[in-house]
Amino acid sequence: MNWKTNSRTARTATCRSCRPFGPHGVRHPAKTLLGTCLPYSLLLPVLLLFSCEREERPLVVQPPLAQDASLPQISDLVPGPKHNKGPSVANPDENNSWMMAEGKRFYEAYNCVGCHAHGGGGMGPALMDEKWIYGYEPQQVYATIVEGRPNGMPSFRGKISNDQLWEIVAYVRSLSGLANQWAANARDDHIKGGSPPNSIPEGTPHNSSEPQPR
Amino acid sequence: MNVSHAPIASLSAPNEQAERALAALWTRPPGLLGWLCSTNHKDIGRRYVVTAFIFFGMAGLLAAAMRIQLAFPENHFLGPDLYNQFFTVHGTTMMFLFAVPIMEGFALYFVPLMVGTRNAAFPRLNAFGYYAYLGGGLLLWGGFLVNAGADAGWFAYTPLSGPDFSPGHRVDIWADMITLTEISALSGAVVVLATVFKQRAPGMSLNRIPLFVWAQVVTSFMIIFAMPAVMVVTAFLAMDRLAHVNTHFFNPAEGGDALLYQHLFWFFGHPEVYIIFIPATGMVSMIVETFSGRRLFGYPVMVLSLIATAFIGFGLWVHHMFATPIPLLGRSFFSAASMMIAIPSGIQIFCWIVTLWTGRPRLRVPLLFVCGFILLFVLGGLTGVMLASVPLDLQMHDTYFVVAHFHYVLIGGAVFPLFGAFYYWFPKWTGRMLNDSLGKWNFWTLFLGFNLTFFPMHILGLHGMTRRIYTYVAETGWGDLNLLATVGAGIIALSVLLFIVNAVTALRDGIFAVANPWLAPSLEWSTNSPPPAYNFYNLPSVSDAEPLWHSPEQKPVVVGLSTEKREVLNTTIMDAVPEHRYELATDSIWPLALGIVVTLTMTFVVFTPWAVPWGMFFSLLVLYAWFWRGNEPKFIVEAAKPKPQVAAQPTLVAPA
Repeated sequence: MNWKTNSRTARTATCRSCRPFGPHGVRHPAKTLLGTCLPYSLLLPVLLLFSCEREERPLVVQPPLAQDASLPQISDLVPGPKHNKGPSVANPDENNSWMMAEGKRFYEAYNCVGCHAHGGGGMGPALMDEKWIYGYEPQQVYATIVEGRPNGMPSFRGKISNDQLWEIVAYVRSLSGLANQWAANARDDHIKGGSPPNSIPEGTPHNSSEPQPR
Repeated sequence: MNVSHAPIASLSAPNEQAERALAALWTRPPGLLGWLCSTNHKDIGRRYVVTAFIFFGMAGLLAAAMRIQLAFPENHFLGPDLYNQFFTVHGTTMMFLFAVPIMEGFALYFVPLMVGTRNAAFPRLNAFGYYAYLGGGLLLWGGFLVNAGADAGWFAYTPLSGPDFSPGHRVDIWADMITLTEISALSGAVVVLATVFKQRAPGMSLNRIPLFVWAQVVTSFMIIFAMPAVMVVTAFLAMDRLAHVNTHFFNPAEGGDALLYQHLFWFFGHPEVYIIFIPATGMVSMIVETFSGRRLFGYPVMVLSLIATAFIGFGLWVHHMFATPIPLLGRSFFSAASMMIAIPSGIQIFCWIVTLWTGRPRLRVPLLFVCGFILLFVLGGLTGVMLASVPLDLQMHDTYFVVAHFHYVLIGGAVFPLFGAFYYWFPKWTGRMLNDSLGKWNFWTLFLGFNLTFFPMHILGLHGMTRRIYTYVAETGWGDLNLLATVGAGIIALSVLLFIVNAVTALRDGIFAVANPWLAPSLEWSTNSPPPAYNFYNLPSVSDAEPLWHSPEQKPVVVGLSTEKREVLNTTIMDAVPEHRYELATDSIWPLALGIVVTLTMTFVVFTPWAVPWGMFFSLLVLYAWFWRGNEPKFIVEAAKPKPQVAAQPTLVAPA
């Protein structure tokens, strides 16, 4: 808006009926405004490039089927990290806030909370420390939930749908700081426990020994 | 009463040379950099208004999309997630980025002109306020564009908005954007108050201040008392959500209180409604006075009723929370208080009607909008009294009845006066007149579209349609009325488009405006249209509430202000007796720099608490530059003397 200049005010003083801008070759205010704003509006597409997958919340139109969750049965006798280690499978849910929050809902709804509490453990082992008995990779956690493990972990095969399972996996791993920190959940509206998933320094998970019978 | 269309000669420059010298002193530096540095209240006010209007358009488009979604049962135009973001960003934008800033923009532009001074007080703070506001707007809309639009409603109740139920950073962006816009609102309020209380023209005692200025004074006080509550509550919310901070303000399991959020929010939120509405009453008063050609009926009563509205407005926030477990005594008290506020509002309405009744009204476009305002606002006020009753409120809480009510009071009570004000002050602003017949089309389409959109919502609400649902099934029978509302929304969109067309064509080749095209009584019309950078060559003096209606050429004027420094005249609070000269700060880039630093701080604090110390550090650096010696004005030259020589300089002299 360069239309208010010295020459303009000077003209106003000499001839009050003359108009200060427009016909006298001074740039039109609307044009100047457009000229100023237009180049910056080109930055908008750049913003869109950052479109956040962390914040996506897809709509599940069809109710998911629990039968989806299938994993080749491995021997009940030798469970453990060695058998299903394999190459790490990336779990996209670990980059998405909504998915992990859903994982937390299912974690409570399917009563994971009954044994593992809110990560601190109880009847079952703690999930918020860096020790993992049956492996910490996403596919290992997945297998642990689907197959069940000795000393009390039941199999959830056929009980939880596949996408919900991966959401639970993402949440469980976030409890020990293994998920994307920028997407991880903040604190719960519960009694204060350990640090919430978004406030945990990135852990160095390691495999621990098999649980001792209690 | 001999009113002239021409500018008042005694307030204008004696010759071209003198005019040019003063204009050079007060005009901002040339170029884009000069534009960014400007501390002129007219530049800043215009920026506020234009920016707020752009946000109004964008939020209006969101509303249109929501209406399309709701036009038919089980529509899939927007999904539930997008719908949540749309209504939240719509509401937030309309409240925080449109209604409050546009009123403040009008205040910053017109208050200094109306009280007869050359610039607003604290010019750099004023410039900073705009940049903070713009930063807040960009933060909210930037988040919206990257799929992180706020989605917990415009008031973001906990626990929904809390860390447990709103994952991601959407609500953090909302909370931090609130902080930025409130910083801006507070700066504007301080600027307006200081300008009105210390820079009025000599003789403009408190009972001679134009009602628009009174309205802005009352609003500014409300802002100062209400906004800290929302800044505190959004800061609490952000701290509850922020990684590594994890406070428990709103977590009942740890002794926090989710209801505390609602109390703090509505302690701001209800006065907010009046922060939007009271400036509109000021606009209406000015328009009614001008177009009925007589002094406003009951001026002191009007002022007192504005102040009463402000006081009562702080005492009824709980009526937003009747559905929460509030003790019965509390409900009764706030129910009574809510009904009581209809009294001052009723007084205002009657004063305007009597003024029109006993005057000689000219039904030009601004007055047309005011008539629309009176009708719609009374309707909205009536549903307001209904909602103040606890049993009715419990039935209609969170239904479309409430949506209808607050759109009637906010659009009827603020947007209609605002459009009237646009038509009224556009000539002063740009030097061009808006087209009258297009204006009438604009009014009637807006009036029709508005009622078509929002009246059916009363009925929908009574039928049980709840707010914030993204769709409904056909069996509810809500389809027809919703379709009608959507048609109405289309007409509103058409009307706003008409207004934009009118404004753009007027800017290009509208009729040139004289200094006082409406024969109005207040001081902003005594100078050229648009006003020069310094507003008045000689500052006016005033001996009554309608200075331009009582032989303004014969009034004494103030001379003796510096032509080397940007000086204004300071006067006493009560009677506006000249006290001393006061040098205002010059144009500066540092308000922009501080605006950027504060915006970046509030952006990064979405992710990490470390943004706060770093932001403070950089803000401090910028403030050092801002206040660097030699850079700052040498103010209160006169006051430093043992006894201020009020009579000597500046002096009131009779015009030659």
